[in-house]
Amino acid sequence: MTFTMPNIAPALPEIFILSMACLILVIDLFLTDRQRFVTYLLTQATLVVAFILIVTDFTQGRVLTFSDTFVRDPMADVLKACIFIAGLVTFTYSRDYLQTRQIFKGEFFVLGLFAILGMMILTSAHNFLTIYLGLELLSLSLYAMVAMQRDSVTASEAAMKYFILGAIASGMLLYGISMIYGVTGTLDLAEVARQVPETEKQLLLTFGLVFLIVGVAFKLGAVPFHMWVPDVYHGAATPTTLFIGSAPKIAAFAMLMRLLVDGLGGLHAQWQDILIILAVLSMGVGNIVAIAQSNIKRMLAYSTISHVGFLMLGVLTGTAEGYAAAMFYTLAYVLMTLGGFGMVILLSREGFEADKLDDFKGLNERSPWFAFMMLIVMFSMAGVPPFIGFWAKLSVLKEVIAADMVWLAVVAVIFSIIGAFYYLRVIRLMYFDKPVDTARLEVALDMRLLLSANGLGVLLLGLFPGGLLALCLAALSGS
Amino acid sequence: MSLLGLVLTIFVGSMLAALVSRFGRLHAAWLSGVVVVVALIQLLFLMTPVIDGETTIERWSWIPTVGLDLVFRLDGLGMLFALLILGIGLLIVIYARYYLSERDCMGRFYAYLMLFMGAMLGIVLSENIIQLLIFWEMTSLSSFLLISYWQERSDARNGARMALAITGAGGLAMFGGFVLLGEMVGSYELSVILDSGELIRNHPQYLTVLILILLGAFTKSAQFPFHFWLPNAMAAPTPVSAYLHSATMVKAGVFLLARFFPALSNTPEWSWLVGGAGLITLLVGAIVALFKHDLKGLLAYSTISHLGLITLLFGIGTPLAAVAGVFHIINHAIFKASLFMAAGIIDHEAGSRDMRQLNGLWKYMPHTALLAMVAAGAMAGVPLLNGFLSKEMFFAEAVSAATYLQLGWILPALVTLSGIFAFAYSIRFIHDVFFNGEPIGLPKTPHEPPRWMKVPVEMLVALCLLVGILPTLTVEPLLRIAAGGVLQAPLPYFDLAIWHGLSPALLMSLIALIGGLLVYSLRYPLFRLHDRFEPYVQASKVFDALLRALHALAAAITRHTDIGSLQRMLAWFVFSALVLGISGFAAGDGILRGPRTTLPLDGVSLVAAAGVIAAALATVLLHRRRLLSLIVMGAVGLIVALIFVKFSAPDLALTQLSVEVVTIVLLLLALYYLPQRQLPESGLWRRARDGLLALAAGGGAALLSWAVLTRPFTSISDYFLDNSVSGGGGTNVVNVILVDFRGFDTLGEITVLALAALGIYAMLEHLSLSGPTVDRRGRPWDRDVHPAIMGSLTRILLPMALLVSLFILLRGHNLPGGGFIAGLVTAVALITQYLANGVRWTQARLPANMHPVIGVGLLLATLTGLGSWWFGYPFLTSTFSHMHWPIVGEFELASAMLFDLGVYLTVVGATLLILIFIGMLHSGDDTEHKPAGESA
Repeated sequence: MTFTMPNIAPALPEIFILSMACLILVIDLFLTDRQRFVTYLLTQATLVVAFILIVTDFTQGRVLTFSDTFVRDPMADVLKACIFIAGLVTFTYSRDYLQTRQIFKGEFFVLGLFAILGMMILTSAHNFLTIYLGLELLSLSLYAMVAMQRDSVTASEAAMKYFILGAIASGMLLYGISMIYGVTGTLDLAEVARQVPETEKQLLLTFGLVFLIVGVAFKLGAVPFHMWVPDVYHGAATPTTLFIGSAPKIAAFAMLMRLLVDGLGGLHAQWQDILIILAVLSMGVGNIVAIAQSNIKRMLAYSTISHVGFLMLGVLTGTAEGYAAAMFYTLAYVLMTLGGFGMVILLSREGFEADKLDDFKGLNERSPWFAFMMLIVMFSMAGVPPFIGFWAKLSVLKEVIAADMVWLAVVAVIFSIIGAFYYLRVIRLMYFDKPVDTARLEVALDMRLLLSANGLGVLLLGLFPGGLLALCLAALSGS
Repeated sequence: MSLLGLVLTIFVGSMLAALVSRFGRLHAAWLSGVVVVVALIQLLFLMTPVIDGETTIERWSWIPTVGLDLVFRLDGLGMLFALLILGIGLLIVIYARYYLSERDCMGRFYAYLMLFMGAMLGIVLSENIIQLLIFWEMTSLSSFLLISYWQERSDARNGARMALAITGAGGLAMFGGFVLLGEMVGSYELSVILDSGELIRNHPQYLTVLILILLGAFTKSAQFPFHFWLPNAMAAPTPVSAYLHSATMVKAGVFLLARFFPALSNTPEWSWLVGGAGLITLLVGAIVALFKHDLKGLLAYSTISHLGLITLLFGIGTPLAAVAGVFHIINHAIFKASLFMAAGIIDHEAGSRDMRQLNGLWKYMPHTALLAMVAAGAMAGVPLLNGFLSKEMFFAEAVSAATYLQLGWILPALVTLSGIFAFAYSIRFIHDVFFNGEPIGLPKTPHEPPRWMKVPVEMLVALCLLVGILPTLTVEPLLRIAAGGVLQAPLPYFDLAIWHGLSPALLMSLIALIGGLLVYSLRYPLFRLHDRFEPYVQASKVFDALLRALHALAAAITRHTDIGSLQRMLAWFVFSALVLGISGFAAGDGILRGPRTTLPLDGVSLVAAAGVIAAALATVLLHRRRLLSLIVMGAVGLIVALIFVKFSAPDLALTQLSVEVVTIVLLLLALYYLPQRQLPESGLWRRARDGLLALAAGGGAALLSWAVLTRPFTSISDYFLDNSVSGGGGTNVVNVILVDFRGFDTLGEITVLALAALGIYAMLEHLSLSGPTVDRRGRPWDRDVHPAIMGSLTRILLPMALLVSLFILLRGHNLPGGGFIAGLVTAVALITQYLANGVRWTQARLPANMHPVIGVGLLLATLTGLGSWWFGYPFLTSTFSHMHWPIVGEFELASAMLFDLGVYLTVVGATLLILIFIGMLHSGDDTEHKPAGESA
């Protein structure tokens, strides 16, 4: 058998991250706990360099390599760049939290890097196998990250649930993939897309599609495959929750796009129906159940579920503009989530997790500035202008209406209104209630600056959303 | 000079106000005043084209990618509102300077106020409705900050919270409406929308758009049934109330009605929804106002009532009614601002707002009293004051609208009723506060306020009089321009005379006057009646109840779905996948069976299938007796191996067989530490449910397999069959795939296996657990853990098993076998020694350190791959040759065999490492019970 060397240039960022992850893993072994900071800095530097690698070599068009299993296109580049930023922000927010709790371990960062590598592979997948590879690399890293707090009962339980359900979901995904392979005889997304309209085995294809969607829906956390989300968000240490809640959502969006649009675009009519059901259920359950939560991590978990519903609305339109809207929504969502969980980390200190809604009481008296940042994030999540969340909702709703699904848009609006209640409740607690926790807020400078930038970013991108919108449109107009 | 500049001036002023207050308490107030004056001057210059009847449109590029520009529009309506916002805003700025006490943070107050002012200006000057929406929500946000300015007061908190919830929700509904409207018309710009009235009204989605937009407008302008937030927002500092209730916030709602009047009105839906809401609000507001003992409460409900009046006028839908609506917007803004300021002065100087305490203030503050009385007269609609004029027009419109309605008389009748109450509460405001005896228990002795606090009130009251006496000279030009902006069409004929002769409207005014006096004189019995029924008819209670219901629903769903039970989650997961699968079947062409012919059914297959099913069932049924269920599970694996044999896959059968043994040993070792008997945890119902789910899911999977297998497919095996000998030099295709075609994969797999073994080793090393020493009936385990016969037998077996594995390894390339299977067989043979003879005995004879074995295995496999580089071929290229061995005969030697040896070593090492260390977990194993073999 012969084996030819593929063109590895398009995957340079991936290769770089992989090498660095391995290198850091080894370096970390030789560091004492006092020197652990080196691991942290190396990780951050890796992300920065990878970001530069992507941005300076931005792809125009579509490059395939590794026997067509790997694709690099503008969408992948934009998403990867955002994944790096999200990772960078997550690690910065986490640093102080991990240090004060003596869980500042190299594993957290190395696993994080491997998860990011998984996300990148998922984002650039052009073959069912690559998708699965990326997904598993990501998921396994996440399972381990959740379980890292070995002594925490809730964390271990959450990790166990996450793992078992995740394994079943992966199984479903593989089942679907095998069925599609059975019909088309190929795993290559473009080849599958070419064969879909021709094949006579529509039944099997539909079945395969259904199971693929189950797998993706689980990853995204869409109802009724959302059960793990609140438990994992709640059970994991807040930095892990922050990590799970942010960057992987970008990858999950990419996975949705690669599978349904790149691979099975020909079955749009079928998957549209399923996505409608999932989207409506997600928005409904997410928004309504969030009201009953007293734990802010659980509340944000349900809020995530509802946002996922909204995101799927954009995808199910089946137009390039709709995809761009969904992509914009995803990126906006990640930015807001980073801010939201960042605030939870900010308020927490050793021995106090600040994950109750009541812990936000009277924040305005303790720190008007960060209360204002949280206010921005909450308003943005509720979809109130002039914040970025508004534009995200606007662009999605616009495309849904343009696709002649007015009733769906109205349903989305109704659920958004219900959703506004629990976001506003946080604001009410911060501004109007007496603080329960009166300890002084001691925040590291890097966190203080970055979180402020995060909050102001939500505002500024809300005032000038043009650039990001254009980027999303440009990234998807080619596909 | 531009509209953008105008709006920005205010926003910049907001930021500056926050900054300069650091340098002095009053700086913020002065700065705000100057900024507003500058803005007013700008507005005066910008107004000139509008006065000539033109509409100024200003465009700034903003988000070109989605075709959204920052577009401002100044027409009559916008101009009127801009004047009101800035004009009254200026007075509020002056007033607040004296109103706020030493303790209040001036900078924050003025920053919020200016932010709010800028947002309001943005609303009325927007051409783009998305932009309008942004400013709209900014008013919600900034008014929330303003209302909650006195944070320490709990009523302020609740008021602000409710205001925010209601208007925020309304804003989102409007958001939906706007997007829909934009898609309908194809543009988000007002010029286009206002010209597309026909298109919009005939569109099938018209009603949806209308309702969504009205929800926004009604929540903002406190129309029934959303009126309850406004009185609750009374906790704001009085300058804020004065501003929100006169020229801004609540007026934004009616502004929206006026703005979309040409596009949305003139349909029955519009009339019923807008008119109906307006009429109810008018009545409810007027009636409730009378019963409020709080001065600001009375004014708040009066605001609601007047907003209802304006809404009703727009709802009537005739051009003349719209003109009257605009007129009343102006008048209401003027007199309500002055009334609130007066109420603020009273509160400020007398220390109370309760009308049961405030009496006879005339003696203490005659000047303020006079001003308040004139303003209240305007509110009641007394002739020669501005309120009278628009009220007359309103009555006249109500009468004329009645002529073309069935049961039309009801409308004027209800309107008159509201007039009666309006008169009554206005009299109450005057009489209760300024006359009616002496003050009762006031915290301080009332006196006149500082001079400049009264100036804004004086100016507004002067306007009331001027407009009331000389309407044609003062307000008419402005009204014409503004009404033109609303209608976007030529104005109807109207006449702003004070005396219109004896008309039905005058009669209604008279009835209202007399009725109002009558109601006021009966106020005490009415108060008692009201106190009795009030608890039952509060709209905010409905709101609270709705909220509670929502919370209850949320809690119920949480209780049922989010209980953290993994079993429940799995059940849901499987169920949902099942439902989706069925939907997939329903969506397909519905034919399950494909065209392929099925093979004939034979006895062996049937027995095997039955065996697998029975064994699988038994595993489930016996799952609480772990050892038994493990054994049965082993049976499943063995039958599967037989099935492989049946379908001529000896390699798979061999692998399955050896893997099965290793797995069972592994499970046995692990389960040893768990309780021997699991207690039943689930009830009958749950088991039935789970059983059904399992049956359905399994059945589904079976049907799917059926569907897949009965369809034709192209197999990939032909390629391997053709190329196995020529390309890989082996006739055993499975093995050739493993070591050659997919050599790279295999290399990866053994690496993973090695890593897994090392990982398990890292976790288990030095870990020791104590297992049970008695069985479940409490009997101690047999002391003889390693029976002698068994030990001896396994020792004899060992060389034979090793020989077999070597045989399997060597023949693997051409006949069933291979490194993987051989490795497992060796591992099983060695493990048996550990099991039968004990760890200590075996370790004395066999090196337990498996790391070198694993390492050599991996190295060998990798080097084989690298070797082909040495010869100039790509990685893992294989070569083979034949040689003649003396006894064995013709023997083929392929480089792949070396690779296979690597696989073999790794598998042996990894398997042993894992099993030995799990086995050694049990610390007491060897020390307590000396195995029989050891003594020998």
